[in-house]
Amino acid sequence: MNAWLLAATVLLFALLPCGIVGFRGPAMHRLVGLEMASLIVIIEFILLAQGMGNPNFYDLALTLGLLAFGGGLVFVRFLERWL
Amino acid sequence: MSAPTIAVEVSLAVAVLVAWICCLGLWLMEDFFDKLHFMAPVTTVSMFFVLLAVVIETGWGQATVKTILVLVIMLLINAVLTHATARAGRIEEHGQWQPCSGEKVSGDEKIPALQNPPREKSA
Repeated sequence: MNAWLLAATVLLFALLPCGIVGFRGPAMHRLVGLEMASLIVIIEFILLAQGMGNPNFYDLALTLGLLAFGGGLVFVRFLERWL
Repeated sequence: MSAPTIAVEVSLAVAVLVAWICCLGLWLMEDFFDKLHFMAPVTTVSMFFVLLAVVIETGWGQATVKTILVLVIMLLINAVLTHATARAGRIEEHGQWQPCSGEKVSGDEKIPALQNPPREKSA
């Protein structure tokens, strides 16, 4: 296991606090947990891409970044208007 | 162990440590707006150190360009998304995002009463 995969493994457990925030509390707090989880997973993909030597994972990080933006905005507008 | 290897490992350690601290802060903070602040270091500090590690490891190539692209996207996205989320949180709390009547704003001036009455949410 190289340093990149070790960092990816340690960072993977950082999703636990995000998950706890995302599953408990008011809706707006959960949304922040979801957004933070998206950021962590983007970094995770970069670390995995470098660790496994697979450049395709960089495209996954890019795509996830763009989709997380759209998804986050949709959630924000929904919570702002309807809840 | 060579100097570039040590630099890569230190950069990755800093990136992961900052991300971990921010995730714990997100979990431990009670206030919604306090939680929002912890998203910024992940997109700036953590991503910068990951980029630094990629540059040291691979030099200027496809991986570096894509990592820079991810960093730029994350910087732009996080700013917009944090603003939108904070705005939604304030609307949920006060019914509007502008300063409410009687609320202190910067400069310690108070908004005159009923200048900005809370509005009803759109159906």
